[in-house]
Amino acid sequence: MAWIRDAWKWLRSVARRRALESGLDAELQFHIDRQTEKLVQSGMSPDQARRQALLKFGGVSSVTESTRDEIRPALVEDAIRDIQHGVRLLLRAPGFTAAALITLALGIGATSAIFSVVRTVMWAPLPYRDPDRLVAIWETNRGGTVRNVIAAANFVEWRERSRTLEHLGMVGGVSNAMVVNGQPDQVSGMLFSAAVFDALGVHPALGRAYTPEEDTGTSVMVLSHEFWQRRLGGRQDVLALTLTMNGQPRSVIGVMPPGFTVVGQQADFLIPYGQTTEQLRAVQGRGNSYALARLRDGVSFAQAADEMRRIYSDLEKENPQRNARRTVMVLRPQEQMVGDLRPAVTAMIGAVMLVLLVACVNVANLLLARSATREREVGMRTALGARRTRLVRQMLTESLVLAAAGGVVGLEIAALCHRGLLALVGDRIPIPRLEQLTLDLPVVAFAMLTSLATGILFGIVPALVSTSRASDALRDGGRHGGGRRLHRVLRTLVVVEVALSLVLLAGAGLLIRSFVKLQSVDPGFRAEGVLTAFVQLPATRYDTTEAGSLFDDSLSRIAGLPGAQRAAGASCLPVPFACIGTSFWRVDKPKPPDGQLESGHIRPVTPEFFKTLGIPQVAGRDFSASDTVASMPVAIVSQELVRRQFGDESPLGRRLRINFDHANGRNDVEWTVVGVVGNIRSTLDGPVRQTIFVPRTQRPGLGMQIFVRADADPMLLAPELRTIVRAMEPEAPIEIRTLEEVVGSSIARPRAMSILVGVFALVALALAAVGVYGVMAYSVRERTQEIGIRMALGASSSSVFRLVIGQALRLVAIGVATGLVAAGLLTRLLERLLFDVEPLDPWTFGGTALVLLAVAAIAAYLPARRGMRMAPVDALRTN
Amino acid sequence: MSHEKGDLLQGTLDMLVLKALQLEPMHGWGITERIEQWSESVLQLGQGTLYPALYRLERQGLIRSEWKVTENNRRARYYSLTRSGRRQFGDEIAQWRRVSRAVNLVLEASIE
Repeated sequence: MAWIRDAWKWLRSVARRRALESGLDAELQFHIDRQTEKLVQSGMSPDQARRQALLKFGGVSSVTESTRDEIRPALVEDAIRDIQHGVRLLLRAPGFTAAALITLALGIGATSAIFSVVRTVMWAPLPYRDPDRLVAIWETNRGGTVRNVIAAANFVEWRERSRTLEHLGMVGGVSNAMVVNGQPDQVSGMLFSAAVFDALGVHPALGRAYTPEEDTGTSVMVLSHEFWQRRLGGRQDVLALTLTMNGQPRSVIGVMPPGFTVVGQQADFLIPYGQTTEQLRAVQGRGNSYALARLRDGVSFAQAADEMRRIYSDLEKENPQRNARRTVMVLRPQEQMVGDLRPAVTAMIGAVMLVLLVACVNVANLLLARSATREREVGMRTALGARRTRLVRQMLTESLVLAAAGGVVGLEIAALCHRGLLALVGDRIPIPRLEQLTLDLPVVAFAMLTSLATGILFGIVPALVSTSRASDALRDGGRHGGGRRLHRVLRTLVVVEVALSLVLLAGAGLLIRSFVKLQSVDPGFRAEGVLTAFVQLPATRYDTTEAGSLFDDSLSRIAGLPGAQRAAGASCLPVPFACIGTSFWRVDKPKPPDGQLESGHIRPVTPEFFKTLGIPQVAGRDFSASDTVASMPVAIVSQELVRRQFGDESPLGRRLRINFDHANGRNDVEWTVVGVVGNIRSTLDGPVRQTIFVPRTQRPGLGMQIFVRADADPMLLAPELRTIVRAMEPEAPIEIRTLEEVVGSSIARPRAMSILVGVFALVALALAAVGVYGVMAYSVRERTQEIGIRMALGASSSSVFRLVIGQALRLVAIGVATGLVAAGLLTRLLERLLFDVEPLDPWTFGGTALVLLAVAAIAAYLPARRGMRMAPVDALRTN
Repeated sequence: MSHEKGDLLQGTLDMLVLKALQLEPMHGWGITERIEQWSESVLQLGQGTLYPALYRLERQGLIRSEWKVTENNRRARYYSLTRSGRRQFGDEIAQWRRVSRAVNLVLEASIE
């Protein structure tokens, strides 16, 4: 109960401060008076006596001050004084302060930025009604490893059979042509069943949602708040608007609340699927939708998942062609959102924690080395009655002042880091806006807590070490000495710092190496010099034949542009899309049972596609104008398909069947192989897929991706390309990019990842270098006398140099060894992020170790040179 | 406080103050006088050390103070030992005797 008494005393002393202090003055006055009286009695004149008394007393104000120190309420006032003292000391050593501040700000800033994202991504509840009652349903293969889109026909069955779920609906991303303010544009939104409004429990903030009846039509749309504000200027008459989408008018009936996303996916518009139950049941393929639903009251997540699996196994028996060897995957939406980001986020958390730790160790190191210069102060204060706890508290306060300042600067850095993170997670996750970050209370609180924790973490060791040596300090007469223990702590800290940096460097090295490998993967086509644009024609005005001839015309006009070599079209980009992913089989062999069919990518392309993209023709011929809808269906296959399906046989003249949907009635078509081309990759880090190219004339569409190969900078062709497309269809939206950009953005995430971790690793490396330098510089200063004696006794300056460098390298070597072991254990966590690089890649580990040793050698060089150049006499005289 | 480099170690000063107060309550000046007297003027207490020590001891609850009127009819603050002060003094004196005896033994050891 001691604290109660203390608190009471503190309160009492606050209340009685004035009385006490005036009492003190009176008491001291009394003391001087008595002394004067005594001197007068011994025969001195009153004046002289008074002077003598005052002299003996030694300065009233200083006595008052030091006595007052004893009666001031301890906690608060001490803290204020310590803070003032700390700030004064920090300002007196600007170099040290700047180094420590930057170090801390980096650590705290990076940690806060990561925290803000992790909080949003992993912990923040989704902004729906009772989000934990929400489930997402996907299909998957038997192993349950791949999340796959669902078949609409299956969805209809689920909706009819499930007893555990309600408000079951589908959602799927879609990108449609819209005319906004007279300008055609490609806008991404979602197909969204009416039931999902109820499933999520979110309804339009303005207007209304569409009804189940409207769900089967194509006349309505709901806009996002952001689209309304950004593109329509927030106009008040938004609900009276009719917007043209894919050439069809739709009336705007609602606007969603701000920040609305469908499980993290932003959608500028929501539109009904526009199909009746029977139409959905008749859909054969799998589109790009999944299902969302709400658990019925009293139903657990596990019960619902069980029921869905049971229903699916029934469906598998009823319709093996569609469902063989597949099952259902029931997920919590949070899990769906975080899922594939988790390894990256975990790695980021690991990286920033390491940076923060290195920062703490470094500042502890700096503080400790600096505290050597304060030994006298500490020793004196101890002798004068300061208790150790009081000194430790004062030093901790100084650390906290430093950490708090670091926290403030760190928040600025957090805002910077946030941009890098945005690039990492892209638009898949609703991240609070950049400007919101600094105002975000939890993040500020987190940064402050981190500052506090780091302040204690890096402050406690120096405080304990330097106060425990206080009595030595005076005995040494203030000389830097008595530092055996200090040295041991300093050395340990350097080892720890080097080890931590090595872990980070090794991780970054692996990611960078993996990214370099990824970047140097040959996609199978030459992206440089190619400009590309996607054009979508509205179904209301064109049929596929008209569209085909329009596309042909414009392709030849584009190819004829000055500066253009050739032009071609395809149904989709080579990266990262598959165009159509489906199964196929050889006509001359028995058809394998359902579920064991080989699958591949089917890509409808125009003649000249291979030449335009620089895909080598290995055998046979290219498509030509004579391949028409009326002529024999032909196909060109990739080398991978030849290897897997034909081995050493020649595929030319052989026929394939492709499992296109029945609806198009082309499943019975036999495609004759007329050519073989090189492999292309749709994802740089994925396997090479078997690919079948077919003529666009025989598999037409209203959307086409245009490719132009240019003589020089392809962007120079952009204006003409735009003009030609505009002439084709004034309402068609068009986005022009270089193919290099397309390929680059497909690996944006690994790039962001390696850049971020790389930056963190460099920071850690720099910090480690500063740490090694600081300790070595201190060590040379400490050993000045020893060095002097050695030199006086005939040691050469180069041997002194070797002594210092050797000491540094020994320490770093221990750190490197420790770090290698730790890294070996930790880099396994990165496995899922690595491409073609082992987590224990010897090159990366070896290189990292060398880099650290080299940096440490440089950091130790300066102090070593100073030691070497010291004249023996000067060295001895220092003391 | 940096002016006052006490000739006495802190623990020792506290002990002397407690000793001075063992007989009767006294004011600050009286304490310096008494210690000076007893030590045959060897120990001249720096007042800059005395008053902080008094306030510290009071805060630690080893002594307490009250304002009284002196024999000359002046107001002065008188300090007296508390119970825990007495106990503390007992502990310290025992400890001191042990240490000083040990130091003396070392210093007076005859070297043949």
